[in-house]
Amino acid sequence: MKQRSIGLYLHIPFCQHKCSYCDFYSIVTLDGMERFVQALCEEIRFRSQQFGSDAEVRSIFWGGGTPSLLSIAQTEQVSRVLTDSFYVAADVEWTIEANPGTVTLEKLYAYRMIGINRISFGVQSFDEGELNFLERIHSPHQAEHAVEMARRAGFDNINVDIMYALPGQSITTCLASLKRACALEPEHISAYSLVYEPATPLYHKLQRGEIVPLTDDVEAEFFLQTTSFLAEQGYQQYEVSNFARPGKECRHNLLYWHRGEYLGFGPSAHSHWDNTRWSNIRSVARYVELLARRQFPVAMTEHLTVEQQRSEAVFLALRADGIELATLESLYNCSTTTGPVAAVIADWQRQGLATCDGRRLCLNPSGYSLCDALTLELLNVLEHATTEAAVL
Amino acid sequence: MASRASMDHIRNFCIIAHIDHGKSTLADRLLERTGRVTAREMVTDQILDDNPLEQERGITIKLHAVQMEYTARDGKTYILNLIDTPGHVDFSYEVSRSLAACEGALLVVDATQGVEAQTISNLYLAVDAGLEIIPVINKIDLPSAETMIENVRQQVIDLIGCRPDEIILASAKAGIGIEEILEAVVQNISPPKGNSEAPLRALIYDSLYDPYRGVIVNVRVFDGTLREKDKVLFMATGQTYEVDEVGVLYMEQHRTGELSAGNVGYFTASIRRVRDTKVGDTVTHAQRPCEQPIAGFREVKPMVFSGIYPADSDDFEDLRDALEKLALNDAAIQYEPETSAALGFGFRCGFLGLLHMEIVQERLEREFNQTIVTTVPNVRYLVQHTDGTELWVENPAQMPEPVKIAEILEPYIRAQIITPTEYIGPIMQLCIERRGVLLGQHYLTQTRVDLSFELPLAEVVFDFYDKLKSISRGYASLDYEYSDYKPGDLVKLDILLNGDPVDALSTIVHRQKAYEWGRRLCSKLKKLIPRHLFEVVIQAAIGSKIIARDSIAPLRKNVLAKCYGGDVTRKRKLLEKQKEGKKRMKQIGRVEVPQEAFLAVLSLGDE
Repeated sequence: MKQRSIGLYLHIPFCQHKCSYCDFYSIVTLDGMERFVQALCEEIRFRSQQFGSDAEVRSIFWGGGTPSLLSIAQTEQVSRVLTDSFYVAADVEWTIEANPGTVTLEKLYAYRMIGINRISFGVQSFDEGELNFLERIHSPHQAEHAVEMARRAGFDNINVDIMYALPGQSITTCLASLKRACALEPEHISAYSLVYEPATPLYHKLQRGEIVPLTDDVEAEFFLQTTSFLAEQGYQQYEVSNFARPGKECRHNLLYWHRGEYLGFGPSAHSHWDNTRWSNIRSVARYVELLARRQFPVAMTEHLTVEQQRSEAVFLALRADGIELATLESLYNCSTTTGPVAAVIADWQRQGLATCDGRRLCLNPSGYSLCDALTLELLNVLEHATTEAAVL
Repeated sequence: MASRASMDHIRNFCIIAHIDHGKSTLADRLLERTGRVTAREMVTDQILDDNPLEQERGITIKLHAVQMEYTARDGKTYILNLIDTPGHVDFSYEVSRSLAACEGALLVVDATQGVEAQTISNLYLAVDAGLEIIPVINKIDLPSAETMIENVRQQVIDLIGCRPDEIILASAKAGIGIEEILEAVVQNISPPKGNSEAPLRALIYDSLYDPYRGVIVNVRVFDGTLREKDKVLFMATGQTYEVDEVGVLYMEQHRTGELSAGNVGYFTASIRRVRDTKVGDTVTHAQRPCEQPIAGFREVKPMVFSGIYPADSDDFEDLRDALEKLALNDAAIQYEPETSAALGFGFRCGFLGLLHMEIVQERLEREFNQTIVTTVPNVRYLVQHTDGTELWVENPAQMPEPVKIAEILEPYIRAQIITPTEYIGPIMQLCIERRGVLLGQHYLTQTRVDLSFELPLAEVVFDFYDKLKSISRGYASLDYEYSDYKPGDLVKLDILLNGDPVDALSTIVHRQKAYEWGRRLCSKLKKLIPRHLFEVVIQAAIGSKIIARDSIAPLRKNVLAKCYGGDVTRKRKLLEKQKEGKKRMKQIGRVEVPQEAFLAVLSLGDE
């Protein structure tokens, strides 16, 4: 029996084309892919010697970038290194992100053979105009076709990414995309509102006044409509932007919100182990170079203070499936049934922002929409309650 | 030795000029010419303005003096004491005291700009003090000067009634006319009169705090001789001290052991605070005092008041320490603790004027590292109660209930505005909007006019100067003096957030303007206060009567949707940043108010 359950994240930093909104690290020059794959294998082996001995891998997530750009041979090689280096649980959840424009039936079969059992398609929209605006390389039809192929290849756990609150979007076009997504009967839907990230082409357009973003109030309306539509379709919201059929919540995703431990491989990948967080450098070239010299490609490391650990526990859990009152009480050494913390919880319930059954505090859809503000409010009373307890 | 030179060889003078007309550059040039500094030492221009704030603003706040030796064309060596003067209307009393220490003044006018209001008012002070005026037209080397010189020359002649050939044409920058200026100082300004054997009479025109020696008192000795170990009496404060050190001022203090009639210099006497050495006070010997103090002494009274609070209530004691240290070197600032329901513990501070207030705020932040919240400045009101008693109100929150008030009196000023004629219209309109009354207009030339207005000081406190500058494209200049208190139809305007009054946002306004102000203030606050989880209602009220209302709809969305789960660090940092932002806000009931909201009233005019 292994001591700890962990997740593995692999960042594949290549794209055929950079989407206008995306700030994840990737490059569009693909000729370095082979050298990158060798470096990635090196990093996995390297880290497994350090951390692998007592860990059981319960989820693997290949993200990017575009992991489906790797050839079948490359995908197989990396997978072999993974399974040789780490103890992978029999019921592992193993996800790969795929661009609907870059998958073939052959590739999908190969994924299944390798052991990949969950696939996530970056569909984003079923509207031709919106896809152009986002600079996606696939068409609405390709997206539907990709999901059908995945089914044929035997995937019984499929996610579809949908993006909403695009400039100029109406609630009708937004719901139309969601309807077409639901028609494909995926097990999981990630529905994100568009965020204007600095250093993306879209952000610059915004700065130049070329696009007009939706107001926060309209966005809130989109959010609530999305949530209630998906609920009608049988998708339960278990995190701000994630919806799933019962039992199909993404294990790897929940690992993040539950402060689980994970190792990230590839440029810009993040890791969390023993209350230490670190991230890799954002450069394929440097990454390859450092690993060739058998050095860790780490850009930043931080050891979390007790204060940081407990605030993480609160803000991550509130974003997802909620937090046990007992956990709050032990973290902050305070009462949640009387006093200011109880008052805040009661206030949220009164306003319909949260549900609390006396054991667990969970946000409702309108609460998720205000998640950051509510988190600050709760952390504020928790921190004061702790200080007062310390004084007494 | 310099201090024993016969009075015939001493000349005491100052420079009167408008900001940017080249006073500091000219002073530097005189120092260089007389060998007080070498060109190599003049790495930073404008040696006399040693406070970084002064250099940034191009104004002089603290006074400086420097003694030079100059061998004139007559072959004799003279001692020239140049006494610097502050260049802003807030400090006109200080100007009058430094003028009183001189026998002459250089009137410096920019060849391309002409005479400005500040120059005229200081010139009148100098003429009143009986000073010999030496007119200088500066910056004659500028290309644009050529067409202007004759015009400016005429302005100067009209102003002081001199002969055209008495005006020295100079360029401090290019070193033109420096010799002529020094000769004119020696030949035209009379030497000081006085008796070094008579009882001591010395005028304090400035003082500054030195952490090692205590206050360094700058004086002009009119009669008698001041020596080390003398017991001296400060006539206005009645305090006595034993003198430690006496000297004259070169670039640094230069110890001479004594200072006799006619000369300018400094002494120290282990004095702990500058407020014990009041500008304008007379220093005499305790054992053998003079009969009459030097005329013109006045207690400096603050005219503008504002609350200064620590941004974080825990820093109250730090702020107290900072104010104490700042006051060591600023005799004019007054402060006393006060409590605000909105802002917690802080201080009500009194300033000479708006510039002085800004300087204090900036010094607190820069020199003393304080993060402060300041409230809207106000003037001091005199309230006459219905029962006949009187109350001075320096904080709008202390204004009594309307039913108890018989009358409120407010301070007025006489403002002098000099402007090119094309801006008369907009300036008149501005002054009338500010409840001003035109007292007179006087054409200095065909294209320049001198307007004088009587205005309530409270109306000038609100961005009047910036407005004046903007409507006249920077050409109008302003000077003012305090006149007297007059009754006004004034009311206290309160602001309520979700029903809770915010004492720090209360203002006193004219009744006719109250509705407009209330409406604009509410809409301004609506923009400055962030959305909350609940609706925030902003109301303006006079007494219990609500005169304006606005509301901020509750927040509906505040979450970062797309979030790569693995990067928790970034998420936590964003949250910590939001938390820091909240910390800088002030809590009124449940409403969090950003600090800039407390100054919202000041920029209402922009809307």
